[in-house]
Amino acid sequence: MTHEPVVFRLLEFIAAEPSGDDAFNGLALTLFAYQFQNNAPFAKFARSRGKTPHTVRHWSDIPAVPINAFKTLDLTCCPPQKAAAIFMTSGTTQAGRRGKSHHAALDVYDASMRHNFSRCFMRGDDRLTMGILFPDPATLPNSSLAHYLDLAICGFGTGQSDWLLGPDGIDLPRLVRALDQAETTGQPYALLGASFSLVHAMDALQAMGRRFCLPPGSRILDTGGFKGQSRELEPDAFYDALEHTFGVPRASCIGMYGMTELSSQFYDDGNAVCPSVKSGPHWVRSRVVNPVTGARVPKGERGVLVHTDLAHYNIVTSILTEDAAIEVDDGFLLLGRVTGGDAVGCSVAVDEFLRAAAV
Amino acid sequence: MLERACHLPGLDPDALDWHRLSFARGDTGPDIAVPVLGPGDIDRLAAHVRDNAAARLRAMPVARIVEAIDAVIVRLLDRQDPYRRKMEQMLPAVTGYDPEMVRLGLTRYLMTFRKPELLRFLAEDFPNPAILDGFQPLPKGGYGKAFGPPLLAHIWAGNVPGLPLWSMVCGLLVKSGTIGKVSSAEPLFAGWFAQVLAEVAPDLAECLAVVWWQGGESAPEQAMLGAADLTLAYGSNTSLAAIAGRMPPGKRLLRFGHKVSFAMIAAVALDPAKVADTARRAARDIARYDQQGCFAPHVVFVERGGRLCPRSFARYLARALDAFGHRFPARALTMAETASFAAWCQQEEFTHDAEVMGDAHGGWTVSFHNAGQGFGPSCLNRSVKVVAVDDLANVPGLVAPFRALLQTVGIAASPDELFRLAGLLGDAGVTRIAALGDMTTPEAGWHHDGRCNLSDLVQITEIDARAPPAADKLAFYDD
Repeated sequence: MTHEPVVFRLLEFIAAEPSGDDAFNGLALTLFAYQFQNNAPFAKFARSRGKTPHTVRHWSDIPAVPINAFKTLDLTCCPPQKAAAIFMTSGTTQAGRRGKSHHAALDVYDASMRHNFSRCFMRGDDRLTMGILFPDPATLPNSSLAHYLDLAICGFGTGQSDWLLGPDGIDLPRLVRALDQAETTGQPYALLGASFSLVHAMDALQAMGRRFCLPPGSRILDTGGFKGQSRELEPDAFYDALEHTFGVPRASCIGMYGMTELSSQFYDDGNAVCPSVKSGPHWVRSRVVNPVTGARVPKGERGVLVHTDLAHYNIVTSILTEDAAIEVDDGFLLLGRVTGGDAVGCSVAVDEFLRAAAV
Repeated sequence: MLERACHLPGLDPDALDWHRLSFARGDTGPDIAVPVLGPGDIDRLAAHVRDNAAARLRAMPVARIVEAIDAVIVRLLDRQDPYRRKMEQMLPAVTGYDPEMVRLGLTRYLMTFRKPELLRFLAEDFPNPAILDGFQPLPKGGYGKAFGPPLLAHIWAGNVPGLPLWSMVCGLLVKSGTIGKVSSAEPLFAGWFAQVLAEVAPDLAECLAVVWWQGGESAPEQAMLGAADLTLAYGSNTSLAAIAGRMPPGKRLLRFGHKVSFAMIAAVALDPAKVADTARRAARDIARYDQQGCFAPHVVFVERGGRLCPRSFARYLARALDAFGHRFPARALTMAETASFAAWCQQEEFTHDAEVMGDAHGGWTVSFHNAGQGFGPSCLNRSVKVVAVDDLANVPGLVAPFRALLQTVGIAASPDELFRLAGLLGDAGVTRIAALGDMTTPEAGWHHDGRCNLSDLVQITEIDARAPPAADKLAFYDD
């Protein structure tokens, strides 16, 4: 199969109503064969796991690529130099190596984003006035999140929507003006941004002694992640603070979970209760596994997330994350990044070893 | 049944609050309680131990102390002894290590504390151990007597069964009152030793307290550090630095930080007739206590140019680890440990481009580096890097940046090479060279981290060579 028919089938699959496991499985296996043929590093990886299109019969047997591999391998079906977009992680670990996702085209990525965003965040509204607490794509051309937010503002924002984060940080006067205006006009307002930007905004507003009561229908989208850029808040404290500062009930504060190594996102249905259940759209399947054996852990137990995202067709559909989670009935509870165990003996642990070399 | 850890001479256990420690793995787990002690309790214990040591221990001939320790060890070696049975039953449950591995490990370990070994231990540091009992002639002239600190404190760490025994025995041999804090990961062994001592030699057991508090709690620790004359602390370099920062001025601290060990296989050992045995011995060092002990190798350097190539050795080692795992299965890992194990394997494969061999259940992993990365951490739990090198003589240069962390090197090489490499490695900071297979079982009297276990603890009071002649002039028989 070539690129165009793959894209066509995916766009069709995304636009269609959710269908059963068979349709998902069929498309997943087609994509596995497509990637096996066109993505040499992935084919090598799959072979090393004894998996080929001849042996894999179910999507859950497609070998999941650890996100670590995105840092060193060019996992792409199109030649890297022909990619329409390359999204990179912001990670600064591993001597500055960043995970990369090459996108041959963005049609599927964009369709995936729009379809799911419309359902989970817009909740029936066509357009909302949006304030984005994140740099725009011109500033961060390799950021999948900047692109995502650009799709949000272009596809679902009113003309008064605005990027509120400049080179010098949050443009506070513009933020305050936008919030004041929403209060005055009674038009619902949507604030979107990384969790740390929202914390910075709340801190700055508190320093000014300002609180808002945004009109009903207003909502907040946080994309997760503190990344050491602001003080870190426990989820309950974070959503309480959002409700307190902006007057948006916790049930309308929606958490998004996405990754550079995917082409689709996950949402919860508000955060009245934490931890909230996150789930993906019908072209994504998520499992919680033991990261060593790859075996699914029983429902209710901690494990690590594996996602099979059909929209990530040009790269690999199944990825092994480093995110701990618990599988529940309608999705998963995201527990954050898994951290290494403490040393139990008297031999040095990996971190201490590396620190010693750095001295 | 509830097992109360620790040993608290002079305190009424029923007057204390007890805290339950959970070691549940699945549905069952041992029920262990540790005492909740405030700084006042620590002060009372410290005073009790110090006073009893002054009254009983310091006047006791070291030979009697050796006899008493030996009697305790004989009991703990007896598989019918109730304490030994408790050890075999509860230590695997608490630490997660395979029961058979714990049983064999305990026996082998305890054997190094029998009387002949204890005497060797003493002789290693004191050519004339009677110096602990009275003034003995010194080679330079005059007389000397060795005094241990009146009160010696220990802060133990980790879950390798029995580790506190080293320093407890050291404290007793230099006649110090001892107060030791157990780790939450293995809180039992030290207390059991003290309890058997109380049955064998009640006098001595009054000179020894075993306590617990939650790591990081500062009030009881401050009380102990303040009361003791000398503190021995074990743990990660981060926690040791924190303890050093809390030491009261004028008090001594000896630190035993986490260490890293490795192995070296010379080309001569890569002989088809010998390689399987070499790999088996290396696997034993890697698998024993799942590499949690600081003697266990993180990396095996293998020299090119033998009849078999380093990659073949890696495969032999993988097979040996697999076989070992069938006999002594690895400890079940927590999800956090599983995640770091997976992350390490991925990093080896994708970042360092290594050939990663492992079993499907994560019981062991061999990561083979044919070129490139030299020395680096393993994530333990039976994971090891096998690194091919052209000449083993280059290895000391590779490990030298980690000087402060280096400990044991297991070597498979000819006698001449053994001594040549030992010289280079010692210069790079390595403190112990062992045969492969013996890395994790140091012999009695070994110099822990290159130090003198006993003579580091004592101070020598000496009588100047001119003092006795001067005293002669004042004797009743002076003419």
